[in-house]
Amino acid sequence: MSEHKSATGPGGRLLYLIAGLGIVIALWRFANGIGAVSNLNQGYPWGFWIGFDILAGIALAAGGFVVAALVHIFGGERYHPLVRPAIFTAFLGYLLFITGLLVDIGRPWTFWQMIIFWHHESPMFEVGWCVMMYTTILFLEFVPAVLEKYKKTVWLERWRTYSPWIAWALVVLFTIALIRTVAWVVAVGGVLLLFQILVHRGVIRRDPRVPTLLIIAGVLFSTMHQSSLGTVFTMVPHKLHPLWYSPILPVLFFTSAVMTGLAMVIVEATLSARYLRRPPESDLLSGIGRGLWWALIVYLGLRTLDLAVRGAAAEAFAVTPQSLAFWLEILVGVVIPLAMLVSRDSVSSDRGLFWASLLVVIGLVINRLNVAITGIHAATAERYVPHWMEIAVSAGIVSAGILVYRAVVRWLPVIEEHQHADRTASGRTGAHGRPAGGSQP
Amino acid sequence: MAMKAMLIDAMRCIGCRGCQVACKTWNGRKAEKTEFFSGPGYQNPGDLSAETLTLITYNEVQVNGRFDWVFGKKQCMHCNTPACAAACPVGALKKLESGPVIYQKHRCIGCRYCMLACPFEIPRFEYDSANPYITKCTMCADRLETGGVPACSKVCPTGAIAFGDRDEMIREAQHRINQNPSGYYHEIYGLEEAGGTCVLHISNVPFDKLGHRTDVPKHAVNKDTEQAMEAIPIVMLGLAALLGGIYMLRTRTVHHESDAPRADG
Repeated sequence: MSEHKSATGPGGRLLYLIAGLGIVIALWRFANGIGAVSNLNQGYPWGFWIGFDILAGIALAAGGFVVAALVHIFGGERYHPLVRPAIFTAFLGYLLFITGLLVDIGRPWTFWQMIIFWHHESPMFEVGWCVMMYTTILFLEFVPAVLEKYKKTVWLERWRTYSPWIAWALVVLFTIALIRTVAWVVAVGGVLLLFQILVHRGVIRRDPRVPTLLIIAGVLFSTMHQSSLGTVFTMVPHKLHPLWYSPILPVLFFTSAVMTGLAMVIVEATLSARYLRRPPESDLLSGIGRGLWWALIVYLGLRTLDLAVRGAAAEAFAVTPQSLAFWLEILVGVVIPLAMLVSRDSVSSDRGLFWASLLVVIGLVINRLNVAITGIHAATAERYVPHWMEIAVSAGIVSAGILVYRAVVRWLPVIEEHQHADRTASGRTGAHGRPAGGSQP
Repeated sequence: MAMKAMLIDAMRCIGCRGCQVACKTWNGRKAEKTEFFSGPGYQNPGDLSAETLTLITYNEVQVNGRFDWVFGKKQCMHCNTPACAAACPVGALKKLESGPVIYQKHRCIGCRYCMLACPFEIPRFEYDSANPYITKCTMCADRLETGGVPACSKVCPTGAIAFGDRDEMIREAQHRINQNPSGYYHEIYGLEEAGGTCVLHISNVPFDKLGHRTDVPKHAVNKDTEQAMEAIPIVMLGLAALLGGIYMLRTRTVHHESDAPRADG
């Protein structure tokens, strides 16, 4: 670690510059209104910020719950070294996304009003609640890294005791707000309460590293959040192009988020290994790569079936800006990565895996921008093309994110330092033996 | 109170724009600096805006072989099942039983989902304000409360904007069409659009000639959304049980086999 001096190389300085510009533009927007920095108009109320910061940003943060579930629910123990970086990326991603949201919504200082004015029929209400709930869960999932760093063992113990109950309370509150039927609230809350009681009684084995209920709550909120962003667009059959409008948009958004979450884990692990000058976790990442291949197959299957059943497939073969955007998204984000990952050799090559994953990420961003911008047709305004200042704000947010990421991975035990020693050691107990809490085996 | 509606008859409108002025006056909206021909033809301003909640559209249309001016009225349609109200996360937009879709501004967070959702593209946003709100016609719900009629309807010199119970207005529209079948276009815009609206239009020309969207679905546009939202409890319960169950079964096996190193290394 000592060979790293500071984050301010030429690359670092550029990041500070872009982030600074973003802040200046954001301040300008708060003084003069959204119209002063954007091309958003009366016909196109949503644009680049919604498409990139929010729709794409949230999908890119999906790695957190996918890897957490893979390891802590489904028992993919060997992937344990990837959990904490993925959760940290998700937490950071959500914080960045909330920053983007503060710029995009008109009166962000009233955002908290969603807590008191309930409107459970609205997909946006679901989105807002998922944001608040899952960010809290991510904070709880991430906080042990800080507590470990400063050896707060008492607080770690408190975290172990209380965090599952906080998670449970949040799920119940969410269920009350969104469902409003006593029977359902009792059922959902009851199942999780039963689980926690059985863990307490020792009937279900307690995971010494992290309370399982915390992980379950995270998966629940993520699933609802990813899908609800799709639900938002089920409201506009009259405006969204048939290549993207579908009653199963929530399912498509969720599936593509899982797929992109896996791709992001590979991209991020490769880049951070380079940044920290360590060899990447090649065999773990190739395992993730195989999962990514299957996720791509499932998504491609769903997309094709959906287009065929709705009779919208012909739209893809008409020469329109929309069909071009559609093919760009499908080729870059799904077909080419699939072809790249088809052979065992390419899955186990660091370079091939990284580039295929990066394409999946880019394809996902194109897909979300298509849903938010390219696919939307409004009669009121001619067209919407993002203003450079809109893009600058988003670029500033991303740059700030990279700076924070770099600082945190060198400050906190996010990326485990001795994992290579563990993995090359004879047993698989390494992940087990070094719990997140730093205590019992 | 029965559901009220407005009946707007393009055959009676003379394009005086008195309704636009009355609307601004009653709702306290600012005047705008406008340019001629910023919209189609001579209409002014060019379109609805954050300050203009209703607009008379000027349309040069061929009627019986000669060109004529036909005037339409653009404003909130006050849907029976409003997409904007279904979309609003904080319930700022709300359908009243008496017909109007109102806007409770203190609730609004400015997310603009209502603008995206509205099939008629009516709500406007104050893009130039640092403390922006949504603006739209509220059918003068405050006037209706005291037994009045909307300001635009009150001021109209030719009775082109009738106001009354929705059933009554539909009967009146049909009556007018039946009385003059060669003059009127034989449809009522708003009868079925987006699941039916509390603003009904009749005209001597097809409605798209007046600037109305005729490709709006004939059902409430939040049909698919409702279905997706109904799935939430099922997904929540199913997922909670599934994840808990998988963890329980998996750790049980691991427990029996003890924590011995696995052989996949």
